[in-house]
Amino acid sequence: MIRPRLLRKAGWMLREEPKLKHTFEEVGTREDLASPGLGACLGCAMEVSLRFALKVLGRNTILFLPAGCAVAVGTAGFGRTTGLKIPVVMPLLTQAASLPSGVKRHFLRQGIDANVVVFAGDATTADLGFASVSGAAERGENIIYICYDNEGPMNTGYQRGSTTSYMAATPTTPVGTVTRGKGQPAKDVPLIMAMHRVAYVATASIAYPYDYRAKLERAMRVKDGFVYIHLLSPCVSGWRFDSEMTMEVGRMAVESNAFPLWEADHGRLRITKRVAFPRPVKDYLQLQGRFRHLSDAEVSEIQKMANRRLRELEALTRIR
Amino acid sequence: MTLSETKAYTHAATTVLDGNEAAAYAAKLCRVEVIAGYPITPQTPIMEYLAKLVASGELDATLVLPEGEHSVMSVVEGASMAGARTFTATSGQGLAYMYEPYYATSTMRLPVVMCLAMREMAMPWSGWASHQDAVSVRDAGWIQLYVETVQEVLDTVIMAYRIAEHPDVLLPVNVCYDGFYVSHYATGVHLPEQEEVDRFLPPYKADHVFLDPEAPVSVNIAAMPADMMRYRRSHAQAMAQARRVIQEVDGEFGRVFGRRYGGAVEGYRLEDAETALVTMAGMTGTARVAVDQARDRGASVGLLKVRSFRPFPFKEVREALRGKRAIGVIDRNLCFGWETGVLFVELSAALAGMTPFPRIIGFVAGLGGMEVTVADLLGAAGLVQRAAAGQEVPRVTWLGVEDQVR
Repeated sequence: MIRPRLLRKAGWMLREEPKLKHTFEEVGTREDLASPGLGACLGCAMEVSLRFALKVLGRNTILFLPAGCAVAVGTAGFGRTTGLKIPVVMPLLTQAASLPSGVKRHFLRQGIDANVVVFAGDATTADLGFASVSGAAERGENIIYICYDNEGPMNTGYQRGSTTSYMAATPTTPVGTVTRGKGQPAKDVPLIMAMHRVAYVATASIAYPYDYRAKLERAMRVKDGFVYIHLLSPCVSGWRFDSEMTMEVGRMAVESNAFPLWEADHGRLRITKRVAFPRPVKDYLQLQGRFRHLSDAEVSEIQKMANRRLRELEALTRIR
Repeated sequence: MTLSETKAYTHAATTVLDGNEAAAYAAKLCRVEVIAGYPITPQTPIMEYLAKLVASGELDATLVLPEGEHSVMSVVEGASMAGARTFTATSGQGLAYMYEPYYATSTMRLPVVMCLAMREMAMPWSGWASHQDAVSVRDAGWIQLYVETVQEVLDTVIMAYRIAEHPDVLLPVNVCYDGFYVSHYATGVHLPEQEEVDRFLPPYKADHVFLDPEAPVSVNIAAMPADMMRYRRSHAQAMAQARRVIQEVDGEFGRVFGRRYGGAVEGYRLEDAETALVTMAGMTGTARVAVDQARDRGASVGLLKVRSFRPFPFKEVREALRGKRAIGVIDRNLCFGWETGVLFVELSAALAGMTPFPRIIGFVAGLGGMEVTVADLLGAAGLVQRAAAGQEVPRVTWLGVEDQVR
């Protein structure tokens, strides 16, 4: 039998991280602030990410949920019911960061110290509402902005978005004799936010809950500016994998460096989950139906892009 | 004189302000708590004046300067949702850009006050006066008050908070004035005392919307169809109640400050007149002069100024125009598809079924900053006289361009 310590020594990240058990004992047993009956797809990463975030953030939180899966599953409620035990507002997509800015500004005037948290999808964050996110970041609004990135507007059935991966097949970028899926690489939103020189930026994944938790807790302590957390949120229906594979896909994204986990705390960038012997990106891609059409040459092109992005991040970590 | 220099003159009876300064000074007198703004001509100086007042500590407010008008409206909406008294202003393209949160603010029933230094809409480009921006958003659920003078800008902003925050209303208010003609026109203005304004306008306490972790509720979520119907009906009722409140607040303002504006409409030499001109906002001053001159020449003409465009004062308008033989509506805007102005269309609807039914003719004037002169309005009054005498006159006349009437 191979011993975990030896494997770690060899650089392999392990599935059974010791912190994992601790995190679930600590956070998992806390009060669930969302209704047990949310209507998310079986295996939805967003739902687990939201429930987990609320357990960490606690009751002293005002949540802003722009239209998207996170609302459609019933968190904000319908009609006269609510799906959460905390105040929740459903802003316009385009005011995802500006509406909470106004709320937070008046809270500060009144001396109310509540977490003002946005939990928005990538279509809101990277596309429709990007001006408001960029503006709030530049103004240093003291809000926690969490983007769950499932790489497209999933609430409408997974169309192309600016965070959709290169060559991914979507209903609006189908694979045909002329096109091979999305023709452009994804917009690197977390890095763009880091370049706004905001207080705290991090990437996170529910597949690494201890890392995610630490970043949320760091975010709550930030009182001097804007916080941006970018979650990878594997999507069973859009990305086309079996519902029990959600965490596997999330882990493979990190282990293949397709989605590195890092943070930039007041400008200092650090990779929080280093992968000593990364898996080939192919292992991540072949788990998903949206990449089934890729040729070996196309996979190696994507591998090169992932390598380059990691080198960029590594270079930024060296700046002191 | 800059606004901060006017402080020394606060206790003097009058000072000199332009329309934008008056709006800013009124916001200060109303003790606004959160202000947001983005520069656009001709509204820009308001935010500069307010920034100066905040910087000098004369005004204890949070000033937020976002990346565009969409976020301006959203910040103000959020702050109002959190219970703040809020203020903003914009013009033309800025208003068009904020249309989405503009609609959300009224349908969230948030008593925001926003000045509109009205300007023409593109294309082609024009930064000059027109009511096109303001009338284009007439169905977005806001109260819109169109004002004539710099003094009226100042007084109406103060009244606007009373109207907006009234428990029977709880709707946002636009105070609309002509770009440049009023926004940049400096004139003597009477400044109310802060103590008087404090007595007239108590602090805002929001109890219809709140964000409190101790009392969690969902705000603005998806409504079921029947709830949506009820919700819209309550908004419509609030608009109807606003008609009464606008009148009451105008009366009370008159008692406290000694100036009244007639509430929803104001007549000028109208009662004994056989014909009438109908105007909104800045051109009304010119129309008063034109009416005086026409009267001197023996014409029986009066003037009706529509001050509250939303809610539309159909009762007051019918009352004021009852028995008139002909009416000329001067529009500083264009209602595409009617080949005339919006006020013409709405006034015709308001007077529908009235007996005897007056002849109503339309005038389009002053688009893109075009001056509306006394001569233009004398020509209009003459045409209305001819209509009253039963002569054939065009349904719509464009003033100041080739089919000029004299």
